Amino acid sequence: MDDTTMERPLREGERLVELDVRTQDVEINMGPQHPATHGVLRVLLRADGEILTGAQSHLGYLHRCAEKIGESVDWLQYLPYTDRYDYLSAMNNNLAYSLAVEKLLGIEVPERAQYIRVILAELNRICSHLVAVGTYGLDIGAFTPFFYALRERELLLDIFEKICGARLTYAFIRPGGLMNDAPAGWTDQVRAFTDLFERKWREYWDLLVDNKIFVERTANVGVISEEQAIAWGCTGPMLRGSGVDWDLRRDQPYLVYDRLDFEVVVGQGYRGTVGDCFDRNYVRMYEMLESNRIVRQCLEQMPEGEIQHPEVGLVLRPAPGEAYVGIENPRGELGHYLVSDGNKIARRLRVRGPSFSNLALAEHLLPGCMLADAAAIIGSVDIVVGETDR
Amino acid sequence: MAKDATRDTAWGPVEIHREAARAAADALRSAGCPVELHEPNLPTYAPPGEGKRLAKKHKEENPEYEWRGDSYLLLTDRLRLLEVARFLRDELGYDMLIDATAVDFDAADDHLWAVYQLLALGRKTRLTLKTMVPKADCRIDSLVPVWPAANWHEREAAEMFGIVYTGHPDPRPLLLPEDWVGHPLRKDYQYPDEYHGISCK
Repeated sequence: MDDTTMERPLREGERLVELDVRTQDVEINMGPQHPATHGVLRVLLRADGEILTGAQSHLGYLHRCAEKIGESVDWLQYLPYTDRYDYLSAMNNNLAYSLAVEKLLGIEVPERAQYIRVILAELNRICSHLVAVGTYGLDIGAFTPFFYALRERELLLDIFEKICGARLTYAFIRPGGLMNDAPAGWTDQVRAFTDLFERKWREYWDLLVDNKIFVERTANVGVISEEQAIAWGCTGPMLRGSGVDWDLRRDQPYLVYDRLDFEVVVGQGYRGTVGDCFDRNYVRMYEMLESNRIVRQCLEQMPEGEIQHPEVGLVLRPAPGEAYVGIENPRGELGHYLVSDGNKIARRLRVRGPSFSNLALAEHLLPGCMLADAAAIIGSVDIVVGETDR
Repeated sequence: MAKDATRDTAWGPVEIHREAARAAADALRSAGCPVELHEPNLPTYAPPGEGKRLAKKHKEENPEYEWRGDSYLLLTDRLRLLEVARFLRDELGYDMLIDATAVDFDAADDHLWAVYQLLALGRKTRLTLKTMVPKADCRIDSLVPVWPAANWHEREAAEMFGIVYTGHPDPRPLLLPEDWVGHPLRKDYQYPDEYHGISCK
């Protein structure tokens, strides 16, 4: 283009063609029905040719008034609603809510229940990361790895179905303990999965993460610095991908995580810069292996015994007061801030979803990127719109 | 990094946050900030039947019944929120704003509570900061200049509770439609009869 703006006499037969071309920014609606926005997120993009000059997220298409509902149903009746914020990690949502209610009640569940909770939470983390990694490949054009990921996810869903009867929305971990104990043969099925998974994990690595096209699309794209990630309140793989060594399971241990041996995976800038899209995906990949290790240790350490606190009934009346509990969900810190006035219904039920804070930063990463990178960046945040909107 | 032996309950560490709240209150007070430290007792369990009886008895004998939960800092002068927030971030290491929300405890109350959950990554401690926002003059400083994370949390609290965050860079509604009437999480909220010709009854 520089040639045409050079001031030199035109040669014979040459015409001025681009001197009077004016470009105009184009506004593009990405979503609410776009496969790369994972649900019903709408991002309004402004582009100058291929370069993005602005982005604005519009939320609320999946707003289901979870917090308002929380103020009108019993403490226990609210449990199924927690499944529906981040429907890919429903066990973790159940766990976060149950721990918060238990804190409000001042009870601790029996040890066996704690171990089963950790097993389920970690299996659910693998399940959620499988979808995250698989669909991320899908977002940027790799179709096959998605099916490989869903193949193993299917085995996990069978494991969940065996213990609680549901495959996606469980309502299994509840205030006071669990719905029921693990059925006969369940632990063997889990053990068989952990052995299989390590072998299969290698396949995703070879097929997707080490693929040259994937690396080219993700390395050095959408870089989030450490300071940015902390200032914007990013948690989970978003924060660790930027090189911050922070995991609530290790740094503020709940349940029995202090007895388990696992590594916190942090982005290394393995293919590019620390905090790029590749690193966030890298963290998710290795977290699956760590979760697998945790599940194995739990199976060995798990004692026999009760799975329900003996005196927690169906109607709960916590003493007047408040409790905040945040746990490490696959996407980051899921916090519940509960306020009770001594009645059987919450006075205020605040849900702090990890996708909500992580997404707030995404629209500030987009200006200056290529249009095609918008899908790569939004996909690497791994949002579930059910949780940003609640 | 070595594991800390901070787990004292199944729902996470408690004592370390209590100590952090004490330390933060001391530091803020010596810097001349108007904060009160509240250290309510932690919840304890009473069996269901017993609990109901105790709660009833307790209420009759003492209408202002005991509040339970984690320690928190109460900022008595909400106009100095920004100053306190900057101090917490720069001097005490609370580098992350986890949540900013509000609570309308009772329709009869003349104030809302603004509640902030902070996290110090270096010290591994949490801190709850609260302040009262009068319903008659429902405005408070935005914390976006201190923690950009406050942006969407404050937009949500603004539409749900009708709080005006002064200095917010982008005060549009976030989850609700732009023409929604009322603030749904206020206790005195009236459900609409219809919305754009759709009956809500």
